[in-house]
Amino acid sequence: MKIITRILATTLISALPFASVMAGEALDRVMDKKLLKVATDANWAPQSFLNDKNEMDGFDVNVAQEVAKRLGVEIEFVTPAWDIITAGRWSGRWDLSIGSMTPTTERAKVLTFPAVYYYTPASFVVHKDSDAQQVSDLDGKKVGVTTASVHERYLQKDLTIDAEGVPNFDYEVDTDFIKSYQSSNVVLDDLRLGNGSRLDGALTSVPTINEAMKNNYPIKPLGKPVFFEPLALAIDKGDQEFNDRLAAIVAEMRADGTLSKLSQKWYNYDYTSTQ
Amino acid sequence: MQEARLLSKTPFVVALYAAFFVLLFLVDMSGTGFAELLAPAIGSDGEGSVYARFVTSVTLSAIITLGIWLIGKLQFNAQRVTVWLIMAGLFMLFFTSFDLSFEFIQSKIWFMVSQGILTTLYISVVSISIASVLAIIGAVAKLSSNGFANGLASFYTSFFRGLPLLMQVYLIYLGLPQLGFVIDAVPAGILALSLCYGAYMTEIFRAGIESIPKGQWEAARSIGFKFGLTMRRIILPQAIPLIIPPTGNQFIAMLKDSSLVSVIGVWELMFLARTLGQKDFKHMEMLITAAMLYWILSMVLEYAQSHIERRYRKG
Repeated sequence: MKIITRILATTLISALPFASVMAGEALDRVMDKKLLKVATDANWAPQSFLNDKNEMDGFDVNVAQEVAKRLGVEIEFVTPAWDIITAGRWSGRWDLSIGSMTPTTERAKVLTFPAVYYYTPASFVVHKDSDAQQVSDLDGKKVGVTTASVHERYLQKDLTIDAEGVPNFDYEVDTDFIKSYQSSNVVLDDLRLGNGSRLDGALTSVPTINEAMKNNYPIKPLGKPVFFEPLALAIDKGDQEFNDRLAAIVAEMRADGTLSKLSQKWYNYDYTSTQ
Repeated sequence: MQEARLLSKTPFVVALYAAFFVLLFLVDMSGTGFAELLAPAIGSDGEGSVYARFVTSVTLSAIITLGIWLIGKLQFNAQRVTVWLIMAGLFMLFFTSFDLSFEFIQSKIWFMVSQGILTTLYISVVSISIASVLAIIGAVAKLSSNGFANGLASFYTSFFRGLPLLMQVYLIYLGLPQLGFVIDAVPAGILALSLCYGAYMTEIFRAGIESIPKGQWEAARSIGFKFGLTMRRIILPQAIPLIIPPTGNQFIAMLKDSSLVSVIGVWELMFLARTLGQKDFKHMEMLITAAMLYWILSMVLEYAQSHIERRYRKG
């Protein structure tokens, strides 16, 4: 009986810290456990995906590993659906998201963005048989995007990007036929079926388009990139210390060229600035 | 033997042949690999011409009608096996037309089995066990004369049978932390599956218990058995043989419904099917492989299920 009471008591006590979110708690948790839990999408090559050895790999994954190394802790990846990550209120399930997230004002209400670590251009893409010449040719056409992405917000003309160093942009396409998908690869899979068979075009990030074209998808980018999305680390609200620590680490990685090197490795291009 | 008799009537066979001919002529098979086999008869420039369409549909419908006629001559079991083999062959033909990379499938299949199937099975087994316990409690409560217990149980079954399972997965995963209980993806998935299937199985258990005649209860009470003892010693031993077969069916259904927990990031079969082919844009390969794995798993379980059913029917 005594043992059972003791077990119950210890479980209750050990469960308590998770019950509420306090300031400084995330950094303490990471440093105490010597473990950084990073949420990332497993469905977004070359940012993050499962490689040939069935391990997490990609630009975001490498950046996360570097951040963990500089914090001096081990790393573990979790892969919840994207909308669960962006919904915030992680309740300590994971500590950090390095998943190429754009720091929109909407998201800033539930998440904190310690640092922007790179910028990707977003571009419209069409089937290679399409006769669209410029972006505005997609007016009134069926355009595919990922659910809850900045690309979707752009098409809805409701995108506010609140970060330094990002050029201004205009909404160049006017359409009511926005088809939104759970993951970006399904968007391109639908586009490859043929010009206009399910989609007339799609809006997604340039690295994703390049990766698909490398894999012989019959698609081509349309016009110039329409906007640059800054991509940031994200943490749950309420831990200024953790925020500052991460911001310092990213600044350090930018300064010593680590970020540029990783960008070159995965994209063959330095996306760490908008130049 | 309905078909066999029909197939021995010449007018029916001719009508069948004509129907296939018209269908194939409209579909236009002249551009397919089959037409290439007939190239000597059509000539190489025949693609799309009416003559080419005519020749290919005449030949193909003759082959199909002959096949059906031949199968009609077979015994029941032989018919069954032949139809299965032909359907499997057509499926394979259909899949190979996608130009799949079997090398890629080969390189991933072991991980899909060792990580994906194992997780799927593990989640399903744990969930069905918890669901069975919930179902017994729910059934007893539903059958009791206590309005409080009955109200709780019927509310439970109504709620969890009335919501889509996917929504329950989200509600439990995202909702519980708001109350201060932070649980990981796997326990959240197991909880959702257990609660949902527990609600369905409550009805199965209730029906099983109710099927035992009232006289058994009365007889038990007359020799002084209390409720719990009657249940354990008299009712359940008779009800369980009735309950087990439908429970097996629920397990097979759960195996596939467990794919819904992939949305919260559990690395089970469905999650891997969506994820593994991503880097190389080989989604079709992985989806088809996972589909086959689910199917094989279901077939194995259905086989076991039919054995169990036979055993309890005898007993």
